[in-house]
Amino acid sequence: MQSAFLLFFSFDPELFEIVTVSLKVSFGATLIASIIGIPSGFIIAYSVFPGKRLLLTCLNTLLALPTVVIGLFVYSFISRRGIFGSLDLLYTQKAIIIGQVILIIPVIMTLAIAAVSRIDSRYRMTALTLGANRFQMAAVIMKEARYGILAAVIAAYGRVIAEVGISMMLGGNAKGFTRTMTTAMALEYDKGEFVLAVALGITLMTFAFGINMLFHFFQGKTRHDTV
Amino acid sequence: MILYKLENLQRTHSNRIVLNIDFLEILPNAIYTLIGPNGAGKTTLLKVLAFLDRPSSGRLHFDGQLVRSNEKYLHSLRRRVVLFDQNPILFTGTVRKNVEFGLKVRKISKEVRKQRTEEMLALVGMENFADSETRGLSGGEVKRVALARALALRPDVLLCDEPTANVDGENQEIILNTLKQINKEEKTSIIFSTHYLSQGQRLADHTLLLQNGSLSDLVNENIFRVTLAHQKTNETLCQLTEKLSLALPTDRIPAGIDIGKLHIDPQKIVLDPKEKDMAHGTYLNGHIFDLSQDGSKIRVGIDVGVRLNLVLSMEKYDRKEPRLGERRKLFIPYEGVVCTKSDLLIS
Repeated sequence: MQSAFLLFFSFDPELFEIVTVSLKVSFGATLIASIIGIPSGFIIAYSVFPGKRLLLTCLNTLLALPTVVIGLFVYSFISRRGIFGSLDLLYTQKAIIIGQVILIIPVIMTLAIAAVSRIDSRYRMTALTLGANRFQMAAVIMKEARYGILAAVIAAYGRVIAEVGISMMLGGNAKGFTRTMTTAMALEYDKGEFVLAVALGITLMTFAFGINMLFHFFQGKTRHDTV
Repeated sequence: MILYKLENLQRTHSNRIVLNIDFLEILPNAIYTLIGPNGAGKTTLLKVLAFLDRPSSGRLHFDGQLVRSNEKYLHSLRRRVVLFDQNPILFTGTVRKNVEFGLKVRKISKEVRKQRTEEMLALVGMENFADSETRGLSGGEVKRVALARALALRPDVLLCDEPTANVDGENQEIILNTLKQINKEEKTSIIFSTHYLSQGQRLADHTLLLQNGSLSDLVNENIFRVTLAHQKTNETLCQLTEKLSLALPTDRIPAGIDIGKLHIDPQKIVLDPKEKDMAHGTYLNGHIFDLSQDGSKIRVGIDVGVRLNLVLSMEKYDRKEPRLGERRKLFIPYEGVVCTKSDLLIS
């Protein structure tokens, strides 16, 4: 344990590299999923269409989707014999990002829908009567729901940085390329090398703690705003 | 020129008709008041007139043009009409940013925005709050900022949904005086809803009475829920309270009902009746609890077991000299009473 702390505070290059890959991949996945998930969530929240309730149930079900199932699913498309096999995506950071985007889109969408739905309908009506067009009205709603939406993004980031199944199956745990904190921890555990594993665990827990602090801060802001 | 024309307009919610107007014309540059009890359809009508809600059927004309349900077209109309909500909501940010919002979406220059914002905040007495966050404002202040935000757009039509509800007397006066001022100076057409007949009639050039979603000739006062006791004679007793009842000819009561809604016309009640008046109606005694001026008339509140309002001309007021606290006789003629089914009773 002591060695692990020493490694953690010594800024070991290997540890630094693993953390960098993890953050890069997680950030990329969260960014892409946010670009897709936030507007989709807004449109779903403000639209009335047949099957809306069913769609929401499906999205809620997808929240519990195991990472290995997504890994397997994406693998079948990007492996050499898959329809996107020629793109040589397997065992790259891009492959991990694809899997992680699929993992967190339902998270961002459901939390964005909840955040937007909580916003008082009078904001929409007020924006329209003051002459706003649909996009300007959407900007007003997004601004009022900003803390809820930010909380959705943070929750999604927390989900991807801590997942192991997708990174292992689609990234292949290649040192310096696709080795993330979680896959490295699994490998070190298999080798019986606990020092790096525990140091990575401490790093991951520090990130998780920071993310949760942010999450609670923004959730608190949302509650404060709605009082 | 007609500002709004509504023809056979209906708005339904879950198969229930909440608005049903056969015909209505609204003139420009005037102040209209929309009076009715809760659930009468005032807010729905204002939303339809603000192009925020679409009629389920019928035709709506604005400024001589038939209103089509095309979002782009409605957006262009909304830029001429502003609805000032009953419980307005301010956007997060400063008071100034809120007042500027409508001008900004219209791409009006920064200088004009600044000048108009300051002008409007001064008009509603909120100039010292320009850079304050909206979160700390009181209910009355929120209403005044929301009014400034609406007026900054210099709309052709300002629709106000109960503009003075839930605000103190001082804020009420500020809001009402502002409405009167902008109608006079800017020629803005104003339609506002209220529960209070006297407030509506004091400010407005025209009064629209709304009952159960339809325009009505019956003023929304002196309305009572009554139990009907059919007599062997041709009269039916309408029981207002345990001790108070009014007799009506049975043919003036809808057939087959036990509970009804009674409307007593305040214009038809006779104060200090002569004996010859008393043949076809009900005689009551009560004490005067309220006297107020309503335009060129005097409104008298008299407690006969229930509180009734009656209206006197100035000439009759001078002659009869009612005084607060006095006990006086009054006479309610048959023709001053309308009895309808109780399912029409909203409040």
